[in-house]
Amino acid sequence: MTRWKRFILLLAVIGPGIITANVDNDAGGITTYSMAGAHFGYSLLWTLIPITIALIVVQEMSARMGAITGKGLAELIRENYGVKVTFWLMLFLFITDLGNTAAEFAGWAASNEIFGLNKYVSVPIGAFIVWLLVVKGSYRVVEKIFLVFCVVYLVYIPAAILAKPDWTDVALQTIKPSFHFNTPYVVMLIGVVGTTIAPWMQFYIQSSIVEKGIRKEQYWASRIDVIVGCFLTDIVAFFIIVACGATLFKAGLHIDTADAAARSLAPLAGRYASLLFAFGLANASLFSASILPLATAYYICEGMGWEAGVSKTFKDAPQFMWLYTILIAIGSLIVLIPNSPLIAIMWISQVINGVMLPFVLIFMLMLINSKDLMEKYTNSRTFNVIAWVTTTVMIALTMLFVATMFL
Amino acid sequence: MPFFAGEIFVSDVQNKPVLDQTGEEIGKLKDIIVAGGDPFPAVTALVVASVRTAYVIPWDMINLFNKRVISVNVTRSSLMPSAPAPNDILICRDILDKQIVDINGAKLVRVNDLELGDVKGRLCLVASDIGFRGILRRMGMEARGERLFSLFRYKVPHKLIGWHYLQTMEPKLTKLTLTVSRQKVARIHPADLAEIISEVSQKERSALFGSMDVETAAEALHELEPKVQVGIIDDMSKEQASDILEQMPPDEAADVLGDLPEAKAQELINLMEKEEAEDVQELLEHEEDTAGGIMTTEYLAFPPDMTVEEAIKELRLEAPNVETVYYLYILDNEEHICGVLSLKNLILASPEAKLRDIMTTPVKALSLDAAEKDVAEFVSKYNLLAVPVVDETMAMRGIVTVDDVVDFLLPPASRKKRMRR
Repeated sequence: MTRWKRFILLLAVIGPGIITANVDNDAGGITTYSMAGAHFGYSLLWTLIPITIALIVVQEMSARMGAITGKGLAELIRENYGVKVTFWLMLFLFITDLGNTAAEFAGWAASNEIFGLNKYVSVPIGAFIVWLLVVKGSYRVVEKIFLVFCVVYLVYIPAAILAKPDWTDVALQTIKPSFHFNTPYVVMLIGVVGTTIAPWMQFYIQSSIVEKGIRKEQYWASRIDVIVGCFLTDIVAFFIIVACGATLFKAGLHIDTADAAARSLAPLAGRYASLLFAFGLANASLFSASILPLATAYYICEGMGWEAGVSKTFKDAPQFMWLYTILIAIGSLIVLIPNSPLIAIMWISQVINGVMLPFVLIFMLMLINSKDLMEKYTNSRTFNVIAWVTTTVMIALTMLFVATMFL
Repeated sequence: MPFFAGEIFVSDVQNKPVLDQTGEEIGKLKDIIVAGGDPFPAVTALVVASVRTAYVIPWDMINLFNKRVISVNVTRSSLMPSAPAPNDILICRDILDKQIVDINGAKLVRVNDLELGDVKGRLCLVASDIGFRGILRRMGMEARGERLFSLFRYKVPHKLIGWHYLQTMEPKLTKLTLTVSRQKVARIHPADLAEIISEVSQKERSALFGSMDVETAAEALHELEPKVQVGIIDDMSKEQASDILEQMPPDEAADVLGDLPEAKAQELINLMEKEEAEDVQELLEHEEDTAGGIMTTEYLAFPPDMTVEEAIKELRLEAPNVETVYYLYILDNEEHICGVLSLKNLILASPEAKLRDIMTTPVKALSLDAAEKDVAEFVSKYNLLAVPVVDETMAMRGIVTVDDVVDFLLPPASRKKRMRR
């Protein structure tokens, strides 16, 4: 293949990896990184390097399974471990994704309030846009829109530059691991790492690789897609931490939410930095609010054997469409109903997320090492060691993260 | 003879203890081996496993087989540990939870449970449960689930599909029951078949294509998206691929070959019958989005001096090999179009009339390099089912049929929908 042809193919294949990795920086992710920067300056920047590696290792396996088997993760779990396991897994994942969707709409509402838009206006509009996208769009169109969402994440770069950080200090702290033995620091560290890999991401990337029809001959291009995606995601995370570290940390401000971070940026780094930050949050929230319900509806249908697909009608794929609609409707209603237990719902969903992760990762490792399914594309011995170490560390940290939520 | 009665769901017997003659437990029922049958696969053996050992127990050693008791007519000590042969079909491993083609509904369904039943005194695989009830039963919650749903006044329906209306995509099973498979698959409309093919994995695709006869395969392939077509051709043996390509109309075959890497395409053309290969080769030389690229070289051509009677006789011979019979083109010795005749006019004319005297002139024709858009406008303007395509010397080279134009006219979304889930 000529270089030019390879490049064209790469462009055609790109999408699933970048999109999935970027959703990692959702409303919750941005909040965590903002808090990490605001409370601990640049001292958590070094964690982004191991986080990127972990993300690549796990995402790559899912993408590879999709390209080689032509089946989604839920489908593979169903076919190899039976309906019972699949059913419970799907049920719990539905609950956590419902909580997460509500969190995304909360982020959307909060960021819109910075622009002076009331949540009773912004949330219904956001929910409707998101719903329309999948009900009326085709996969190609939807993917293009998602990729545009991914590009908008780059607003965090100018936001960080406007904050005028000390770049030598930033560079130094990125490559030099530091560790502080105090509870808030450890809790933050666990939070930053523990939220990196969520079960639904693995399902989503694999399904979208399958939906795109990527075959084993094109897999090399998908691998690049995954790696580029993971880097982009963590570059964005990097600039969020830098923006908050250079301003809020220096000023000693304490924040608990991403929109509070955006507001506090205004007097310290200027109005534009603040607006860019808020705009980034709005983008991330709406983006994740469309992908999360989509991913959930997809893998539940896959696992249960119901018809699924973007651009299908309510008549063709009733379960898929209703799951998608219900997730968006309930997710946005939770935000709109006064005194609804949003915090409690998010809390429960985070806990279930953490508890489900080990199961999903271990299923993945078992499936990817099955010669029947993967032929010669199983993990190499070295990769298996890396994958098991990553998985174990991620499981341990996620468990610790869950444990900290009970503190 | 083993004693069994009525219908038994696999979920009801899976993991049930299997007892020997003396009532001692041999192990749990893990799987059931079936052999290809027409139309129902019959149970040939049971796979029983305890913690340490596994046994394959032939069906004629079974004494009782029902929901409550499964027993063997020998003692445990007389059994030798054994494992299924590589080609055995194990219904829990190979069929349960897998996707399967529902022939009547022409769609993919997932096997939630399987039903065994009596067919002429043999226990056979008779039906698949594809409904939610099957899922509930597998989870051991059928009764509880039903009670729960009855609170919402919803009755969980039975969705059983007879095995003879199903087609598996398990390579072993399709190979074993090839004639049955061919008959089943041929009953699905090629367009529906194409939709199913585009939704399954590469391995399942190959199995499905392997279980089709050449005509069905050619029709289904023709309906698929170029990207999927290329993938399928790539997976096939070269001989199988060239057989299928021969069977397709030359314009469709040329489309498929045009999307393949050049070396591969040439190799396949060389394997095709000479006549078909020449047609395809010629079509491949034209740009893909011009009249020359979308036309087919198969059309009806007659000399001007033929009588209507002779033409009709000739038509009967030629018609099976061409896509469109609605227009007869009247060509002179140099292949120039002198006129055109619709099938209707031919039939209505008196048998002695010469074609020259009843044909319509002049003929509206397109040049080889006419853009796709112009072809579409032309077809719509003159309300034609097919348009002749001529070269610089005005010699006839082929026709573009309306079905190829429709694909172009549709908005991209609905054109592509077929390959997307």
